[in-house]
Amino acid sequence: MRYALEFDNVTKEYRGFASKRRLRALDGFSLTVEAGEIFGFLGPNGAGKSTAIHLAMGFMRPTSGAGRMLGERFGHPGMRRRVGFLAESVALYHRRAERLVRFYGALNGMGGTHLENRAREVLEIVGLQDHANRNAGKFSRGMLQRVGLAQAMVNDPELLILDEPTSALDPLARVMVRELLLNARNAGKTIFLSSHLLSEVELICDRVAVLHRGRLARLGRTADLLQAGDQTEIVVRAIAANQFEGAVARDGVVSICVPSHSQRAALERIWSLGGEVVSVNPLRRSLEEIFLEVTADSQSSPVKGIQ
Amino acid sequence: MKPVLLIAINFAREQRWPILTLLLWVLLLAFLGLVTDVHRQREDLLFVFKQDAVYVLAFSVFFGGSAIYNERRSRRILGVLSKAVGRQQYLSGLVMGVTIACAVYCFALGMTGSWTLGEAGFSIAHVWFLMVCLLAACALAGTVALMFSTFLNPFFAAGATAIVLGLPALAGQIVGPQWGYVIPVWELGATVVNSSFDSPGVGSWFPVALAAAETIVFWLLSARIFAYVDIAVAVE
Repeated sequence: MRYALEFDNVTKEYRGFASKRRLRALDGFSLTVEAGEIFGFLGPNGAGKSTAIHLAMGFMRPTSGAGRMLGERFGHPGMRRRVGFLAESVALYHRRAERLVRFYGALNGMGGTHLENRAREVLEIVGLQDHANRNAGKFSRGMLQRVGLAQAMVNDPELLILDEPTSALDPLARVMVRELLLNARNAGKTIFLSSHLLSEVELICDRVAVLHRGRLARLGRTADLLQAGDQTEIVVRAIAANQFEGAVARDGVVSICVPSHSQRAALERIWSLGGEVVSVNPLRRSLEEIFLEVTADSQSSPVKGIQ
Repeated sequence: MKPVLLIAINFAREQRWPILTLLLWVLLLAFLGLVTDVHRQREDLLFVFKQDAVYVLAFSVFFGGSAIYNERRSRRILGVLSKAVGRQQYLSGLVMGVTIACAVYCFALGMTGSWTLGEAGFSIAHVWFLMVCLLAACALAGTVALMFSTFLNPFFAAGATAIVLGLPALAGQIVGPQWGYVIPVWELGATVVNSSFDSPGVGSWFPVALAAAETIVFWLLSARIFAYVDIAVAVE
């Protein structure tokens, strides 16, 4: 099985009970997530990310189109045994953390000492081993999110679908989750990660898709997307900024952007002027820049409604 | 079957406070049994017993009509349905959960009724027959409410349930008594409410069997409707 998750021309429209007005949350959306990768799923609020995830989990049906998860149609209950899911704004029953994780594991057909051991293990992974016997109703939002992660992992899933898994976590816990996801990827798991924390997505995702107004606006390998075309940044010391067009002086150094093919000529000119080269790097963009570029028009016009 | 049972027990557990509140009324009956002369006050005891019985019938509609709505509003439904649980299993769990919640109450009422009313001369076998009638009525009323709650909010689901349960009773009064058995919740309720110290040990099992069969029909219908419902929940 090459793809862990496939959306094939999926459209989802919401319609009011008595109203003729329809809201198209996903519009001919197609996407494939390869097995064994960490896939970042980005988009502004209302872009359709949660709708896409809910369709994949079978919480709703597409208006048109279809999809497959781990080789089965969306919503197949047996397939969900191999999937771990963490919803945005996690909501759990008010009971002891360990019992809660065991409850969700049992719903997936687990039982006996295997489930007991696994529940303890996942609570330890998310750093809640000391709170296993505390009622989750008294947990902070961050702790609840960690229990949510534990319940998602209790069945040792092949595919983890995480909707904003680190939104309520402190920096230390975020590092923990990041390492957890990288370890899962190294163990051959697939992770589908929807997040607004672009810096984290940039750090751990192999591929990224940006969804905008229900359509796929950008898709590619993270490294390729961050590559800012054919540009190189040269940072130098001991020359004046006005000696190079477009050079910027800051913190005692001068930053010069040149096309990669004229990098050698630029370096020779710097040396001939007596400058000292500090660094030469391919120019990179941040995911935030790409995100803002893709969603630039979202402020001016609201989500599309169709009649 | 295991997920159904887990969901049912979990539902009953989540309803523990309403159930405990209801049980206070049973406690009142027990208290009256302790402090009054059960032979002289036997009609009053029977009245409280009938009153307690009617409460659980109303609560079964409340349990059934609000179950899905509460789970969706709290977003806990996502956690359950993200596991290897089918929609039909989920619905079955809720039907069983409503029945368990009502069964706990009926059992407590049956025990207390056997003690207090039994001492006053009421047939103990009849007390338990009435509890079976009550439980069958609760299961059916709760399942009808659950069916409406798959596509209506709890307020409208309760209203629609009242209409569906009330219409056969009305037809039974106006057209002919056999119409009362179309959906026999009212008939079963009437069996409890009309019981007296002169009642025979055990009445007809026909409405009980009919209610059980109709509960299965409404459960299947609910599951069919629920399979097509979007569990769309807004993030607050």
